Amino acid sequence: MDSPTSRLLATATLISQGAEAKVYKAYLHPINENGSSVQPHSTERGEPILLKHRFHKQYRHPALDTTLTKARVAGEARAIIKCIRYGVNVPGVRMVDAPAGVLGLEWIDGKSVRFLLGGGAEGVEEVVGESEENEDEEFIEEDPLREYGISQDDIMRMIGSEIAKIHKADIVHGDLTTSNMIARHPTSPKGLQLVLIDFGLAYTSTLAEDKAVDLYVLERAFASTHPASEPLFASVLNAYAENMGKDWLAVSKKLTDVRLRGRKRSMVG
Amino acid sequence: MPARVRKRSPLKLPERPYIALGLEGSANKLGAGIIRHDPDGATTVMSNVRHTYITPPGEGFLPRDTAQHHRDWALTVINDALNKAEISLHDLDCICYTKGPGMGAPLVSVALVARTLSLLYNKPLVGVNHCVGHIEMGRQITGAQNPVVLYVSGGNTQVIAYSQQCYRIFGETLDIAVGNCLDRFARVINLSNDPSPGYNIEQEAKKGKRLLPLPYATKGMDVSLSGILTSTEAYTTDKRFRSNGPSDDDGEDVITPQDLCFSLQETVFAMLVEITERAMAHIGSKEVLIVGGVGCNERLQEMMGVMAKERGGQVFATDERFCIDNGIMIAQAGLLSFRMGFQTPLSKSTCTQRFRTDEVHVAWRA
Repeated sequence: MDSPTSRLLATATLISQGAEAKVYKAYLHPINENGSSVQPHSTERGEPILLKHRFHKQYRHPALDTTLTKARVAGEARAIIKCIRYGVNVPGVRMVDAPAGVLGLEWIDGKSVRFLLGGGAEGVEEVVGESEENEDEEFIEEDPLREYGISQDDIMRMIGSEIAKIHKADIVHGDLTTSNMIARHPTSPKGLQLVLIDFGLAYTSTLAEDKAVDLYVLERAFASTHPASEPLFASVLNAYAENMGKDWLAVSKKLTDVRLRGRKRSMVG
Repeated sequence: MPARVRKRSPLKLPERPYIALGLEGSANKLGAGIIRHDPDGATTVMSNVRHTYITPPGEGFLPRDTAQHHRDWALTVINDALNKAEISLHDLDCICYTKGPGMGAPLVSVALVARTLSLLYNKPLVGVNHCVGHIEMGRQITGAQNPVVLYVSGGNTQVIAYSQQCYRIFGETLDIAVGNCLDRFARVINLSNDPSPGYNIEQEAKKGKRLLPLPYATKGMDVSLSGILTSTEAYTTDKRFRSNGPSDDDGEDVITPQDLCFSLQETVFAMLVEITERAMAHIGSKEVLIVGGVGCNERLQEMMGVMAKERGGQVFATDERFCIDNGIMIAQAGLLSFRMGFQTPLSKSTCTQRFRTDEVHVAWRA
């Protein structure tokens, strides 16, 4: 199998493996002799891209796996493009190879919100392990947010308004967690931005119900990864409510309903 | 996790052997089990007796009839358990019973037996959450330390991970449980309920070849199963469906009940493995423990094994003695909390149909 995609994957370096896919850093165009000296954003050449490879899941029936992979890659690309059209901060799409399960996205220079809120970065636990007995205390104590020049509340407001944008475009993200949001570094060409990533489970819906479930997923993710930051979620909702305008009422009603769901909850009243 | 610090378990080694009787009857199985915790930390299963209420093909078990079954069999099953363990009720330290979740009427009838024995022999009662019982027994039997737990049975479908003295639910079904989905489909195609509908589905699925398209409904960490059941049922009214297998004059394009069992299992299990994998990636665990009745399904175990291997982890599963509802798991979880000083006073020895896994304070773990 020597398709351009597989050749690209062969030159890429693996960054992490999530539940769905392996994530690589690659260069769309190999750097030529002059390429390296060119300004990074004056041309595409030499700019890194992120490859998301949904590899074949051995446990799944091959037929089921093929259809799911294809549908998810194409669906993710479509959702991202729709987001771009509505002015949501998302990574740009660089290449799509649905049958191979590969999606190439713009490389975003920044840190995940999960990391910024002190929830640790996903998947890098093994790397940090060694250095603990030396005076790392200070380094850990330092708030990563300071580097970005914003407060926790600022981040929450940015999250709220970004989610409101996708919901107003009738896109439901489907997997909102703090690991799926990246704060673009202030020194990058586009400046500080909150970027939503991983639209693998995204779909289109006009229902307040689906939007409320989206928010509920985020609420649970907050509760499970950042135990002390529940009041912060309220600030996400405030910003969300402001940006949603009159649609907020319906979503907020549904959100109350959704919170009561789940099986075998004790019923009070 | 920088430097795996082994936290000291709050559970101290017992100064003498402790013996507990566990009574389980939250669904159609009535179980009695006796467990012993020795001062050297060893755990012995002294007896584990179960009697299942089996209904004719095409019928489920109704709460009233199931409760009647439990009342009829309670004494036989408990005596049997005592004889096999070669002890008398006087030797017990506590009597554990299922407080919930489960069907109301069967729960109540078993709790009544537990209460009566407790008063007759003056033994303390311990009410146990059924799900926690499954998890604790699975951990005990397999030796898994801190696994992501997939709890799949006729009434429950949950992905669970332990954190801060609580079994937290990461994902669950939004409508019906996976065992319920399989059992109800078994009823549609008239499979026998003996030994269990799920087992018969598994055997039929081995003969299926064709994967029919079914909805694939994962929502984040959660799954939805009722629509899949409806779609699978819809195939039985398809004009290509042959309930007695293909006849000679049929072409290739036929659907057999075996194909439907196969497709249903493949789709539903792929969803379960997927949400388990999500939970593992989320919390960074490499161990999976499968508990609950559907956990005996070898295809599910196989798929989970492949997934765990891809992630460099390993899967733990138990056989039908401990997977399917049993009394011993209630005894195990009950005795753990009893050793931490927990008792259920008689006035509070009620049952509840709704009792979530995350409501239990897991005092015996660090």
